Amino acid sequence: MKKLSELEKDAEGVIAAVNGDPRFVSRITSIGLTPGCRVTVIKNEKNRPLLVYSRDTMIALNRQECDLVEVEGGKA
Amino acid sequence: MTDQNEKVVALLGQPNSGKSTLFNALTGMRQHVGNWPGKTVEKKEGHFSHNGTEYLAVDLPGTYSLSANSDEEMITRDYIASGKADVVCILADSSQLERSLYMLADYAGITVPCFLVLNMSDVAAAQGKTVNAKKLEKKLGIPVISFSAPDTKSYDSFYTVLERTVREKPVLGADELESRYEELETYGRIKEMIPDGVIPGYSKMWLATKAVEKDVPVTAKIRAALPEADKMAFDAAVSRTDKGVVLTGERKFAWIDGLLSDTAASKKTKVALGRFDRLITHRFWGKPVVILIILLGLIASFIPALPLMGVGQLIAKIPDPLNEAMLNIGCPAFLAAIVCDVLLRSLSFIVQMLGFVFGVTLVFGLLEEIGVMARISYVFDNTMAKLGLQGKSVMPFLISFGCTMGGAAGTRVIDNWGQKVLTIALAWAVPCGAAWAVIPMLSTVFFGAWVPVIIAVILLVMLLHMWLTAKVFGRSLVKREDQCGMIMELPPYHKPKWGALFRYVFGRTKDTFVRALKVVVIVAFAFWLLSYTSSGDITDSILYKAGHAVEPFTRIFGMGWQTFMAFIASSLGKEGALGVLSTIYTGTGTISVGSMVGGAVAENINELLTANVSKPEALALIFAMTFNMPCIVALAATYQETHSAKWTARIALYYTGIALVLAGIAYHVGMLIW
Repeated sequence: MKKLSELEKDAEGVIAAVNGDPRFVSRITSIGLTPGCRVTVIKNEKNRPLLVYSRDTMIALNRQECDLVEVEGGKA
Repeated sequence: MTDQNEKVVALLGQPNSGKSTLFNALTGMRQHVGNWPGKTVEKKEGHFSHNGTEYLAVDLPGTYSLSANSDEEMITRDYIASGKADVVCILADSSQLERSLYMLADYAGITVPCFLVLNMSDVAAAQGKTVNAKKLEKKLGIPVISFSAPDTKSYDSFYTVLERTVREKPVLGADELESRYEELETYGRIKEMIPDGVIPGYSKMWLATKAVEKDVPVTAKIRAALPEADKMAFDAAVSRTDKGVVLTGERKFAWIDGLLSDTAASKKTKVALGRFDRLITHRFWGKPVVILIILLGLIASFIPALPLMGVGQLIAKIPDPLNEAMLNIGCPAFLAAIVCDVLLRSLSFIVQMLGFVFGVTLVFGLLEEIGVMARISYVFDNTMAKLGLQGKSVMPFLISFGCTMGGAAGTRVIDNWGQKVLTIALAWAVPCGAAWAVIPMLSTVFFGAWVPVIIAVILLVMLLHMWLTAKVFGRSLVKREDQCGMIMELPPYHKPKWGALFRYVFGRTKDTFVRALKVVVIVAFAFWLLSYTSSGDITDSILYKAGHAVEPFTRIFGMGWQTFMAFIASSLGKEGALGVLSTIYTGTGTISVGSMVGGAVAENINELLTANVSKPEALALIFAMTFNMPCIVALAATYQETHSAKWTARIALYYTGIALVLAGIAYHVGMLIW
């Protein structure tokens, strides 16, 4: 398992777990990032928010928050 | 609301679901914007009628779900539970159906009649996505329509479905979803314990799901309704589930997948950023591009603004001849002065700026609607988060270099009320166009070649001021939970709905005009009273006497009564300060509202100033004026945008105080130098 922020550009993965406080978990669930969901990293540059694509949606995520999302199978 | 027959339709949808566009298209200029009682969340209501029935549309705050994590979500939930809405219109984005149906899944279990609008069907079609609304309708048990805001035919089916929902009162079918919840260990146990009627309109299924999610208010309500003996067992069941939101979330999406499996189709396309998105998300070019877009938007705002500015300037030409004419026909001088000096000058002043408000609302409303504003928010999120703000706040700041009133109008695209008020409060620190016209000129008169240094210091002080103001007001305006890191979608671009946009812009401009006129006339009148003398000698006015009386106090801040008058005048309008100094030092005429808002300046003003004002005092005045309240129209616009007299007054007093402190510092620094 890796952190979402460790996936490189264009890597695909499946979300394995979402950690963090209830507010964050609720927020990230409601935007569609739930366990079992496929994500593609579109952009991952240092000091910038991550851009991921999931459920037909382009989502911008803060880097620290990405550390709380664990993914599986992402070819780095 | 007074009409008993009026049907209430509440609009529910995630941000970017096109909710505001639909609301504007339905209600146009018949809108009322205020705050939810006791909450720092904007409340938008509007009226429309169709086939002889009057409707009240309530634009519920844009939220991603119906959990209890923010005021917005609580308001939305409580409003639906209040029973005030006859029907709820749930919006989803057809181009991102799977994700945006989450709101529908979270609604399941609520028994208030509803219908589903699959918005942005045009965007979805362009991406090769189709959805069978009829089939979906059968599965859900509620009316479902495909909808596209720019397409006028869409509205016919919207009204038809609205009428059908009002008539037939369909309730969203939730059995299928519930059977998925039943897989969860504690769901059944919790549901069994829930007594009837804990929250009207919310079924046991909905309440049980929220209890599994450890939703604090719902859990407390259920607990309160339980007999003492059951409370322990309930608490135990609730605490047994870990990360309930994730568990129910997975099931909600599984339910959505099941719904869409045979009703929606899409071509598998490789995802990639468009050319513009690649540019705007570029680590180096992103920010310059955003700033360029905003500056171009600012220039574009002037195009619709120019005609109104012309009208305002024409109005400004009326007072002098009219005053004379009124005096000639024997009209009392004070009456002529009120009409000409107070009413007409105020009107002229507002009309000139109103064009800019119109332009800014239109141009930046358009950028919001087509999806560019979300990108701006993304690019500046990191920077603005340091001030507790959204990335979008960068836009009002830049507009405020032109006009603070325009900046205030630009905050409309910020969806969080507290962050909106804080953005306006910080935007006041940005020296506006009028300051840039007056300050370099004053600086040149006194300091010649040092002007660039003074301007650099002003810009530096501006940044410090904004940082300080964010610290001072941030804590009470922006809750900690709103400062959490960015989780936002970059919505697909879509075509604007011009008619709705224009009606909205006209409506908001009209509101601003009415409110601003009230505030400006009151302030101008008060000022006129203070400066009025029957003798025409300035030393007879209350203003002079008061100014003289407080001079020992204003001296602390480096200002004599004359420059203090100019400072006071600059809070009405920066250009006015020069007019006031000119009047005082030439000793001719009275200070009037006319001279406040851009009156004539004596030709030898430069000599007059250098002869009467010392360098440290001039420096004090420069800082006092620059960081004073921008002008009365900005004050009025702040009130209009925040709907809060309390916050408007608080910001105004704070700025006056800080301006004096800065003046004092400038003065004492000046004393050391000269």
